[in-house]
Amino acid sequence: MARPAAVARSPIPAFGSTDVVAGWEVSQTSRTSQGATLELIDCMPLTKVLVRGAASGAVADLLKTPFGRASRTLSGVLTTACRPEEWTLYAVPGSAPRLIDKVTKRVPAGELVTLLDITHGRTLVRLTGSRGPDVLCKLCGIDLSDAVTPTGAALRTSVARLTVELVRDDRNGVCSYLMSCDRSYGDYFFGALLDAGTEFAIEPQGFVLPGI
Amino acid sequence: MILIPCPNCGPRNASEFRYVGESIARPDPNSATQEQWRAYLYERVNPSGWTTESWFHRAGCGRYFKIERDTNSNEVRAVRLEPAAATKGES
Amino acid sequence: MRLSLRPGEVIDRSRPLRFTWNGHDYPAFLGDTISSALAASGERVMSRSFKYSRPRGVLTADSLDPGCIVQVGDEPNVRASHRRVEDGMIASPQNVWPSLRFDVKVANRAVSRFLSAGFYYKTFMKPQRLWPAYEAVLKRFASGGVISNRPAAGYFDKRYAHPDVVVAGGGPAGMSAAVAAAEAGAQVMLVESEHELGGHLRWGGAHELSVLAELKAAVSATNSIEVLIDSVVAGRYDGNFLAILQRSLPGVTERLIKARAKTLIVAPGLIERPYVFAGNDLPGVMLSGAARRLINLWAVKPGTRAVVFTANSSGDAAAQDLEGAGVEVCCVEDARRGGDVVRASGSATLQSVECGDGRTYQCDLLVTATGWTAPTSLLNMAGDKPTYDERAARFFPCSLPEDVLATGGITGDGSLEQILEHAAHTGRLAAGRARVAGGRLRKGVPHAAPTDSPVAEEQSNAITALPVDAHVALFRGRTHGFVDFSEDVSSKELEAAVAEGYSSIELAKRYTTATMGSAQGKLEVVNAVAVVAAATESTITETGTTVWRPPYAPITLGALAGRTLEPVRYSPMQSWHEARGATPLVAGAWIRPDHYGNPTAEVRNVRSNVGLIDVTPLGKFDLRGPDAAKLLSQLYVNKWAKLAVGSVRYGVMCAEDGVVLDDGVTGRLSDDNYLMTATSSGADTLLEWAESWLQTEHPEWRVHITPVTSDFASINVAGPKSRTLLERLVENVDLSAEAFPYMRVRRGRVAGVEDCLMWRIGFTGELSFELHVPSSYGLHVWESLMEQGADLGIAPFGIEAQRILRLEKGHLIVGQDTDGLTRAYSAELDWAIKLDKEDFSGKPELSWQAERSDWPKLVGLRPEDVTVVPPEASQIVHDGAIAGRITSSRMSPTLGRPICLGLVAPHLAEPGTELSIVLPAGVRARAVVTEHLAHFDPEGQRLRG
Repeated sequence: MARPAAVARSPIPAFGSTDVVAGWEVSQTSRTSQGATLELIDCMPLTKVLVRGAASGAVADLLKTPFGRASRTLSGVLTTACRPEEWTLYAVPGSAPRLIDKVTKRVPAGELVTLLDITHGRTLVRLTGSRGPDVLCKLCGIDLSDAVTPTGAALRTSVARLTVELVRDDRNGVCSYLMSCDRSYGDYFFGALLDAGTEFAIEPQGFVLPGI
Repeated sequence: MILIPCPNCGPRNASEFRYVGESIARPDPNSATQEQWRAYLYERVNPSGWTTESWFHRAGCGRYFKIERDTNSNEVRAVRLEPAAATKGES
Repeated sequence: MRLSLRPGEVIDRSRPLRFTWNGHDYPAFLGDTISSALAASGERVMSRSFKYSRPRGVLTADSLDPGCIVQVGDEPNVRASHRRVEDGMIASPQNVWPSLRFDVKVANRAVSRFLSAGFYYKTFMKPQRLWPAYEAVLKRFASGGVISNRPAAGYFDKRYAHPDVVVAGGGPAGMSAAVAAAEAGAQVMLVESEHELGGHLRWGGAHELSVLAELKAAVSATNSIEVLIDSVVAGRYDGNFLAILQRSLPGVTERLIKARAKTLIVAPGLIERPYVFAGNDLPGVMLSGAARRLINLWAVKPGTRAVVFTANSSGDAAAQDLEGAGVEVCCVEDARRGGDVVRASGSATLQSVECGDGRTYQCDLLVTATGWTAPTSLLNMAGDKPTYDERAARFFPCSLPEDVLATGGITGDGSLEQILEHAAHTGRLAAGRARVAGGRLRKGVPHAAPTDSPVAEEQSNAITALPVDAHVALFRGRTHGFVDFSEDVSSKELEAAVAEGYSSIELAKRYTTATMGSAQGKLEVVNAVAVVAAATESTITETGTTVWRPPYAPITLGALAGRTLEPVRYSPMQSWHEARGATPLVAGAWIRPDHYGNPTAEVRNVRSNVGLIDVTPLGKFDLRGPDAAKLLSQLYVNKWAKLAVGSVRYGVMCAEDGVVLDDGVTGRLSDDNYLMTATSSGADTLLEWAESWLQTEHPEWRVHITPVTSDFASINVAGPKSRTLLERLVENVDLSAEAFPYMRVRRGRVAGVEDCLMWRIGFTGELSFELHVPSSYGLHVWESLMEQGADLGIAPFGIEAQRILRLEKGHLIVGQDTDGLTRAYSAELDWAIKLDKEDFSGKPELSWQAERSDWPKLVGLRPEDVTVVPPEASQIVHDGAIAGRITSSRMSPTLGRPICLGLVAPHLAEPGTELSIVLPAGVRARAVVTEHLAHFDPEGQRLRG
């Protein structure tokens, strides 16, 4: 009996028609304006790997990202440290085994490390546009000014009454935030961000490779 | 909304934290008398003035820490992580 | 009547509007308030007063105007001297029983006899049976407009802000302070309650208007000032957390800004104080500020013939403005030369004024300018206790915290230039202190930019204090009049309250309700204090003032509520459940299928075929490290050291008081890796509980606990045909009873999805496999199971069916069959509790419980009447005393009779004991204690199959 191929789905309900990209069902959005000035992208298909380990140790040496920061020291990987002694690595879809293998190889015996593929357990979105801080300040009590939360800042805080990992990761000089929360809240979280962004003409966007 | 100075994350709104309560040491479970154990469970000083209390940064770093707080003014004068939560090698 | 063009007018005569008032059509111009437009059309009565139904008109012509509270469309309690007219607006008076125009003198006199001080407390107490009648009368008296039953229209927004300096008050001092602070490098929020910046400069003369123009230009030239008009700082809280209410926004009805200000400058100016004398509330009696605003802002001629009672320059200016507007000023009664007014008289509106020397003037306008009240509300909220200055006859700030500064009229008098200079100094000082505070706030923030080197702060004593002028102390004259116009409290009533013993100002306030109306004391508090002081023969300083609390200005419930932000959790299969019409169950933040139409049929299908239940909310935790078993042993009452790889075990967790906290199954996946599960509702607490052991008691343990609840879609496949079904979909795992027995865990591929965990457990009492599938494939696996199980009679089941199934099997639910006092031995968990362990949470209490036998026990109960299901929480009685309660109760579809669990007194726990259950309406039902908690398959043959 022919079975349907396993398709991965985002917790964010599809908007518009869908297509399958890298094994994921993604929303097909035609960018209405010439490059929307404020976009909310469903980044669910990106690989997410959780690394927990000592602040000084082989893992910390490999990742080179102190608590509170995000960096791209590993090629093609965004490494974020929103909590002490914990990192989340973001990379193109399907790269979890390779990333886990890469880190595992560097861990000496006896160093306590947790490595988990949390791709499916977190909802991941990206908010890009100069009005991004105006959207977020409706949902988040953090001071988002450049002095306190510059690009490269990584923190865990409350957004829309959820615990969210918030990474300021500007793209081509345009303010951009990568945000992840517990997967089960994804539908609510995406909706809360869209509602907050309505007055700034926010546009939801589907995932496009490479996405990181 | 008062600010709680998290030793990891810096000052954050109190709503990000769980107030654990006045700090109280756990007696040895194998030798504690009923009086000692129930004092640990239920008895608190609740002072008007300086108190040492534990907080948990639920929406932030996920660490337990202690602060000294004046319950009249909400002034905070000392903050320290619980022993295991101290991050090592951070600047 | 509308005057010819005034230099400072705010109306746009090229934009005429129409609106409805009290059912009639009125003209207005853009920029008119409701009351200014009505005044321009000659209307003088705007409302009937709260208690006595007296006619009231314009008193202050600003947002405090107590007699100008009206209904606009669906919206009650609109401040008509603040709200601008919109084209087509429908406004109507409130509190108009029987009608606005009807002369209610008769009714007035009839009621005034018993509407005395404390009349609420005295009059409507007894007899209690008449309360419904009283209530109907009181409601008519106290009508505060009509509330719509429809949901509030419009977008109520909230946002956070982190300004360096917030300036409360956009008058000359506030503008000057804002500009200076911004020029010193601060990000400034300038908050003004009126529709335009400028304060009293707006209704001043040529000099004031030119200074205003300069200040406005300076504000708009500075891009680090955010100007908020029609906005108010409603409250100041610890840490300079400010509630700022913003209106007049496009697309947003109201916005509540939660601002963490580094410094706050309070510059609200001064509020003109009414004078207390007979007839002071008649329409036609108004404050000098009101007359000047009507003339200069809205080009309204406020009367034809006027008496001006003045004690200060504002009164003098009002007299000039009146003459300039063509009003005949028949008398200027100067308080500085001993003048006074004694009585204002008229039927419905003012007709004559009697002065202190006995002369009486026929007139339709009396303007009073007797002094000022300092609105120190925000300073009070910052801990200040303002002090009274007898010479100036008003209160002044006393001691302020470092992050709050004050400037402008609230701090002193002086020329306009002196005030501007004082404000500029204050602004620079605030900016300097904000820089230091900002450094403190950034300290310890790992991602913040490095803190600037501290800048030497401008010395606060470098600010020359403003001079304080002498003012005539005028509060109440020789006659009695109204102190609180919105609550209808007269000076006579305050004196009566003192005479009855309410001599403290705080008590007199509550007894009479003076200062508790819409203006919240800003107009009336000093007069109330003065009247109480005089009645108690003490000074104003001795009497003190009432405490000002937030909010500073009225605030709508919509603004406080803001947008709806209720986090909701869904499983990956939610769309499937919705499409099948599942009845949702709200379980904390989770939305779960309660049932799909017929829970009884769902139970039968699980017992006979195979069912699927979505158990994704089950709390799941990844434990890793050599000391993982130590953590498990600390958390649970059970032992873990010998749990083999590939096995799972049911564990019970107690708090330190021995009370059952949570339960669940934990599986050992490899030597130092476990998957632990917890109840859905307990998952968040459990993580914090585990972390507290790791961080505070056992920092030496080498173990990580990581929540993975949402990483997996969890599906329980239950029923005699579950193995047959799974054999069609599972690859690389032998599902036979020999290779994969009860209480074991395996990892394999399900419906083409890698890395699925399967464990054999039996909450339902049937052969069952619990699948934990990477969440993004949850819907795919669920749909594959449904499709492959079609010929096996597969059907989904919900929470209700699961509750029945587990009750048949006698499995307890923590929080349902236990409560906040149920220690583990009471829950029939003796077998799990290992008191020989070195330590575990709650061990001392449990060892003490084990030594006694006087605790209640959980038992199975079989009601004798097979048709009656006792409601859960029904009492169990024995020998006339309460002896327990029913914790779970359902009709069993499998057994065809009711089944229960109950907590009962220990001497009633023996199997075979007959108990009496109290049903609703006092009927008793008999039930027998069963041998096992399980009513069905107590030997567990089915789940081990």
